[in-house]
Order: sequence, then structure tokens, then C-alpha cells
Amino acid sequence: MIKAVIIDDERNSRDIISLMLEKYCPQVEIVATASDCADGIATIREFQPELVFLDLEMPDGTGFDVLLGTQDVPPFEAVFVTAFEKKFLHTIRFSEVEIILKPIDRESLTTAISIISARLAAGKSKERYKVLLGNFNNGRNTSTELVLPQLEGDDKTIALATVTYLEAFGDKTLFYLDDHHQIQANRPFRYYADLFSTLRFYQVNNLQMVQMSQIGHVSMEGGNVVMRNGVTLEIAERRKKDLLLHLKQYK
Amino acid sequence: MIRIFFLLLLFCYSNIAKGNITAKDTLATDFDNLPPGLDLRPWLLSIEDMEGQVTLQQVPTLNFSHNVSLFHDSKKNNGKGHDCWLRLSVKNTGSEDSVVTLFAGWHDHMYWYVQEGRQLQLLVQTGMMHDREDIRRWEHYAFPVKVPPGQTRTFYLHINNQFFNENPLMPVLYDAMQYNNFRNATLAHFRKEAAMIFMLLGMLLVCLTIAIINYIQLPDRSYLYFAAYMLGLILFFALRLDSKPYQLSIFYNWPMLKYYWDVPALLFCFYLMYLAFGKSFLNLQERYPFMERLFNIFASCIGGIIIICFYCIARGLYQVPGMIYSYVYLATLLPLLAVFAALAKRSRHHPLVRFFLFGSLCFYMASFGSFLMLIRPLGLISALGELSAPSLLIIIGVLMQSMFFLAGLSYRNKLVHHERTRTQELLIKQLNKNKELQHKLNEQLEELVKEQTTEILRKKQELEEQRKIHLETEYNKKLTEIELKAIRAQINPHFIFNCLNSIQLFVMQRDYEYAQKYLSDFSYLIRKTLDFSRRNFISLADEIAYLNTYLGLEKMRFENKMEYELAVDPLIATAELEIPAMLLQPYVENAVKYGMTNSRDHIGQLLIQFNQVEPDMLECLIEDNGIGINRSKSMRTLPKHHQSSGMEISSNRAELLNKMYNTGIHIDIIDKSEKNSVESGTIVRILIPQL
Repeated sequence: MIKAVIIDDERNSRDIISLMLEKYCPQVEIVATASDCADGIATIREFQPELVFLDLEMPDGTGFDVLLGTQDVPPFEAVFVTAFEKKFLHTIRFSEVEIILKPIDRESLTTAISIISARLAAGKSKERYKVLLGNFNNGRNTSTELVLPQLEGDDKTIALATVTYLEAFGDKTLFYLDDHHQIQANRPFRYYADLFSTLRFYQVNNLQMVQMSQIGHVSMEGGNVVMRNGVTLEIAERRKKDLLLHLKQYK
Repeated sequence: MIRIFFLLLLFCYSNIAKGNITAKDTLATDFDNLPPGLDLRPWLLSIEDMEGQVTLQQVPTLNFSHNVSLFHDSKKNNGKGHDCWLRLSVKNTGSEDSVVTLFAGWHDHMYWYVQEGRQLQLLVQTGMMHDREDIRRWEHYAFPVKVPPGQTRTFYLHINNQFFNENPLMPVLYDAMQYNNFRNATLAHFRKEAAMIFMLLGMLLVCLTIAIINYIQLPDRSYLYFAAYMLGLILFFALRLDSKPYQLSIFYNWPMLKYYWDVPALLFCFYLMYLAFGKSFLNLQERYPFMERLFNIFASCIGGIIIICFYCIARGLYQVPGMIYSYVYLATLLPLLAVFAALAKRSRHHPLVRFFLFGSLCFYMASFGSFLMLIRPLGLISALGELSAPSLLIIIGVLMQSMFFLAGLSYRNKLVHHERTRTQELLIKQLNKNKELQHKLNEQLEELVKEQTTEILRKKQELEEQRKIHLETEYNKKLTEIELKAIRAQINPHFIFNCLNSIQLFVMQRDYEYAQKYLSDFSYLIRKTLDFSRRNFISLADEIAYLNTYLGLEKMRFENKMEYELAVDPLIATAELEIPAMLLQPYVENAVKYGMTNSRDHIGQLLIQFNQVEPDMLECLIEDNGIGINRSKSMRTLPKHHQSSGMEISSNRAELLNKMYNTGIHIDIIDKSEKNSVESGTIVRILIPQL
């Protein structure tokens, strides 16, 4: 049994989470609930749960505040439950923390629980939550970190700024860093392409996406882009002009 | 046979001239009964001084002889000067002193002597070249012959003529009575002649004046030549008065003038000026260049001849100019006719030629006629010299010529005037044409400018319209954007999904009735939101209904953690009053959110009031009992980059509405604690002016 706590300012929310867990995830046991941040922190301290369901926005603070307030207690896994994730999309996704959107559907709930269960069972590190808080505090600046999920072993954390480009690799993605290292992430290229689309990344062809700050120069005749570390990538014919436009805006 | 006959004739002629004169040395007569007009030729002894060396002392000793050919009763061309001495011895057979008068014509120098022993005593000295001071010269030419009774006296008359034409030399003896008659008759004749000359001078002066006046008005050179011609004639005829001792003579102080202006005047007037006048009058340079050249050559020849004449006269060779003139006259008679014919042929239809030709012919005929008439009395050579003596024919010729020339000049003037008028007309026409053209051009330009101006205006208008359209679209775009933002802000996704979450719960709890109410309220809200966000203004009633539904849903979400109250001033006609759509919702939502943050008071109290503060001003107050905006802000743990912007969007929207509709929507956010430390919470005061 996984000991769990629900922190949400709406009773209806708390009710439905516990109701659904009861129904579809019997391995999770709700030991307590809380209706705001302060209450939540106290509850966690008291029960020391393995899993916390956290609402993102509450009258006296956010789910992050709860995490910040409980750094001295034994680390726990957390699942964010929110009606609207956009505000903290990159913060959450970059750190590979589980999130469930309201209204809660069974599928996402069971998937999240199963992942958490697996992690707990494997005794994986809780590093991701530190990354989460770090990214939350930094906002969108250069020190943003990215957690890359691995099939086996602990997930790897890299600085987003060091990414030169990423490449599709079957249903996985390869990250090429500026020091010529490459790391595989257990997520499809499309996922990252979507996630990075609003950041300063540019998809130069169907399979590759470069970070614009890493571009050395663009050679229009050769139809390729030379990265700062010397790697040369091909640009799709129809994206050449678009790339230049983006580069100009970026600079 | 014919030769014999001619000789016979000649003999007879000479006998007629000499036959009745019987030469005698001394006139012995009784002076009491002197025959009238006694011809003295038979008693006069003469001697001709060819060399001019005879002195006064020599004369009585010289051998005088009869020489009848010396005398002539009309002008005679001697071909040279004439210096002669006449001796008359008179014996008075009567009983009284002879008081008679000798008259021998008018000559340049005349000296009347009487012999006293071996000496000659000068009695009278006179002559045309002599008498200058006293213009009553007439009396001087009668020399007294006074011989006591029974005595014989010898008189000498010395006549010296330098001019080659000699006045009549016919010595006649008159007694006092006879002389008086003779004098009166001659004077009368002279007066007539003088009157004629003066009349002619007057006419010529008139012509001259006309010419000068015309020349001043129209500087045409032919007038000048004509004037010079006139002047020459005037001078010539005026000098004619001096050829006899008229009392009316003008130039008696300069008697030599008549010699100088005798032949040269003829050459000057009838050749030089005539040619110059003809040349310029007929415009020969353009019409008949050959003739012009001919005229020029001839005129310059004449000019040279005139100078030669002056020179000869100055040297005392008076006869030379006369000879020259004779030859010129005879030589030019036919050529002139040829020239007339050529001119007539060449310029048949030119009216000026007619004037010139008629004038020329008149004078030509007159001079020729005069020449013919004078041949008989004077002989061939003498006649030439006297051509322009004031004979009636010549005068008529001159006058006719002058008249024709003057008329021609007038005609020419008229032609010039015509030409000028025509040129002026042409010029005026051209000017008018130019003016018209200019006018046309101006019009065209004006039209062009007008067109272009309209074009520019049209373009400007178009541009303005385009800009307007552009601005409008921009505005609309901005508005739509704001509206979209407003929708996003107002329909807080949290709210939507939380609502759905709640419905889900009711369903799961099988509380279907509640779920249905919740769902219908929710769908009403969403529909209204979509509807209002498209409109700028909605009625206050609609807004109230909307807020009611919204707050109902919120209350349902938070169960009993919040309470709300909507208070509307009963005076307000909510259905008619319009307010901007979706303006209040973000503030209400904020109030809901922060109203429940008060730790002292667990139940959020929300009060919404609508008041009519002024006739045209609606006041909306949104009051909560939360911790207040100031503390709420400071309490927020969210980093700055995560700030919510719902209220910001609302205030932006208010600004935009103010701009678009010129309304003065005013939004105040007041923290209650600022006024009163006991209370807490926030009041949002929105003032909406009524249009």
C-alpha cells in the first residue's frame, strides 16, 4: 500500500480524487487530506506520506510552496492535480513530475499511479523535485534544467543551455550536448518538439531540432547550419528562410 | 549751185546787219531834237583789250576802229571774258548844253571817262560786280553825255566782263525824257520778271517745306534729295535776280555767287539730285539694280564735274563750265530718253515710276522746248547756257516736275504707310494669335493642374480611406485580441475545469439532480460568456444575471466558505442601462479568490453594489473581506514572472473602451485597511458614465 495525502482547496476535488483512487487504484491509501498550503505542510509532516496529490493553486499559495515547505521531511513522490497546467507547463514537464488534469480521467490517474509505484518500488531518486523547485524559482532563464527519463536506472538531469540539438531516434529522442556527449531520452521526438516549440529552439528538418543560441552560422548555399561546436546539420529546403527570420528575431 | 545760193544768202544777211550802218567818227547833232533811241553803233570806235595790258595813259593814243560785231542786243555767249574800250566823240551843233544819257546794258565793270586834253577823267564807275553798298544800282548805268554847244568832246567807256555770257551790249543815246520812258518800261518788265521769279521761289519754298515736314514725319531719304533739289533750284532762281540790277536782288553782297551757282546749279539740280532722288524714290536698289549702278556711276561723274566747275570758276575760267554743261546736256539727251523707256518698260505697273517719269518728261520736254526756242535768237551754244533762264516754259516744267515728284512722294508715303499699316495689322494679328495661343495654353495648363489636383485629392482621400480602414482593422484586431484575452481571463480555466470536476463528482456520487443544475448553470455561463465577449455593451440586467450565475457556481464549488450579495439601487432601470460587457467579471473573480484568504474570517463575504451616484454615472462597488490587496500582494510567493494578469487585462480593456467610445470609465482599487485598520479586504470601485 502506498501512503498518500491529498492537498486541495476544493472539497469536491478532494472527494473525487479519493473516490477514484478507491475505485481504480486500490494500492493507494489516503491517509489524510488538507485544504490549503499551511494545512498541507502540517499534514505531510504529520503523516510522512510516500505520495502527495497536490493542487497547484490554492488561496494561500501554490503546490510549489508545499514542496518548499517540506524539504526537511523525508522525500516523497508528488502528483500535481490541476485544472489548468499552462502557467507552469515547462516547469513541470522539464522535471518529469507527474501531473493529472481535472476533470480527472481514469487513464491518466492509473498511468500516473503505476509510474509512481514503479519508481517507489525501484527506489529511484527524488532528484526531480529539486529540479522542479529550481526551475520554478529561476523562471525561464539559462540555468533551467531538464530531466531526461531513462529506460533503466535513474533519470539524467542536464542543463537546457548545453543542448546543441536533439534528434529523433525511433520512439526515443537523442540529445546532443555541446561537449559532443549524447543522451537518450525515453520520450518521442514529437513530445520534445512540441514542448520546445515556444522556446528558442528551431526544427531544422523532420528529425532534428537545434537550440538557436548554439548556432554558429548558417550556410545558405550549402543548405546547412553549423553549430558552435562544429557539428553541421542539414536544413530542410522550405525552412531556410524561416530559420533566418527566427534567427533575426532571436538576436 | 546750192553753194552759190548759200553764199548769196550769207552775203545778204551780213549786208542786212551792216548795210544800214555807215561808220562816222564823230556824232554831230543838235541835241535839242534828238531822235528817239539813237543807235550809237555807227559813231562808236572800239578797241578790244585781249591781254588786259592797256593802261589809262595809253588809251588816247591807241588806234580805235569800227567793230560792229562787238554789239549785240541780247545775251551773247562770247566763250570768254570781254574787255573793251569804246570811244565816242560828240559835237554839239545846237545852242544848249547837251544833257543826254548813254545806256549800254549791264556789265560787270564799267568806267565812263571824258578826255581832257591828253588825260582821261573818270566820270562814272559802276558794274554788276561793283555796286554793293547801294542797291539802287539802276541809275548808275546811265552815263551822262554833257557837251557844251558848239564843242566836241570825246568820251571813253571801258567795259570789262569776266563771265563768258555777256549781257546785251547795245549803246543807245537818250535824252532825259526818252531815258525816263525807257527806264520805266524796263523797270516794269523787270518787275514782272521778278514777280514771276518770286512766285516760283514761293512755290519751290512750299515744296521744300512740304518735303522737310514729310521727312521729319517719315525719315525717307528721297525727301532729303528732293529737298536738296528744291534748295538748289531756289538758290538758282534767287541768283537769277542778280543777273540784272534788280532792286529786289538778294545776293548783291556776294555778286560772285551767281557765277558759282550758274552752271553747277544746273548740274546739281537736274543731274546729281535728280539721279539721287530717282534712285532712292524708285527704290532701284531692290527693283532695278543695274539701273541703280548706272545712276550711281553717272551721279558720281556729275559730282566730279561739279567740283571741276567750281575749280574752274575759282580760277576765273568761267567759260569752261559752260562748255562742259553744253556737252553734258547734249550727251545726255538720248541716254535720258533711253533710261525713261527702260524704266517705263521695266516697271510698267509700278505707280511710283509713273510719277517719276511724268515729272521727268515734263521737265525734259520743257527744257528741250526751251532749248529749241532759244536756238534761234541766241545761237546753238548760247541757247544751252540759258536753258534754265526763267523762261515760262522752263518754269512750268520745273513746277510740273516738282508737283509730280511731290505727288509721287506723297504716294510713296501712302504706300509706306499702307505697308506699315499692313505690317502692323499682321503684327497685331500675330500678337492676337499669340495671345490666343497663350490663352489656350494657359487654359490647358489650368485644366491639367485642375486634373492633377483632383487626382491628388482623390489619391489623398483614397489614402485617407485606406488608412482609416487600416486603422479600423487594426483597432478591430486589437479589440478582438483584447476580447479573446478577456475571455481567457474571465473564463478562468481553473474555474471551468473545477466546475467540470465538481460535476464529475456529483455524477460519481450519483447526485444527478445537483449535477444537472450545476451543468445547466455552467452551460448558461459559458454561453453568456461567449455571447458577451462579442459585444461591447450589455444591459445591466444581463450583467447582474451573469454575475449571479457565476457566483452561484463559485459558491457551489467552495460550499459554504463564501457568501455573496448583489445589491442593486432600485432607482436604476437595469434593463435599459448599458455597461461594457465583461468588465466586472475579473474583479468579481478576484474578490472571490481573495475573499476566502482571510484567516480570521473563514467565510468569504462578497458584496456587489450598483448605485446611481449621479444622473449619468453608475457606480459599481465590489467589496470583499479578504486580507486586502496590499497584503495579498506581499504574501504572494509566486515569483514575478508568474503574476496573474486578469485584472490588468480588465483595466486595459477599460482604457480601450474609453478611447473607442469616449467614455470615462474609471477604476479604483482600495484596500480597506488603508482607511480603517480594524477592517480588512478590498473594494473595487468602478465608475461607468452613462452615454
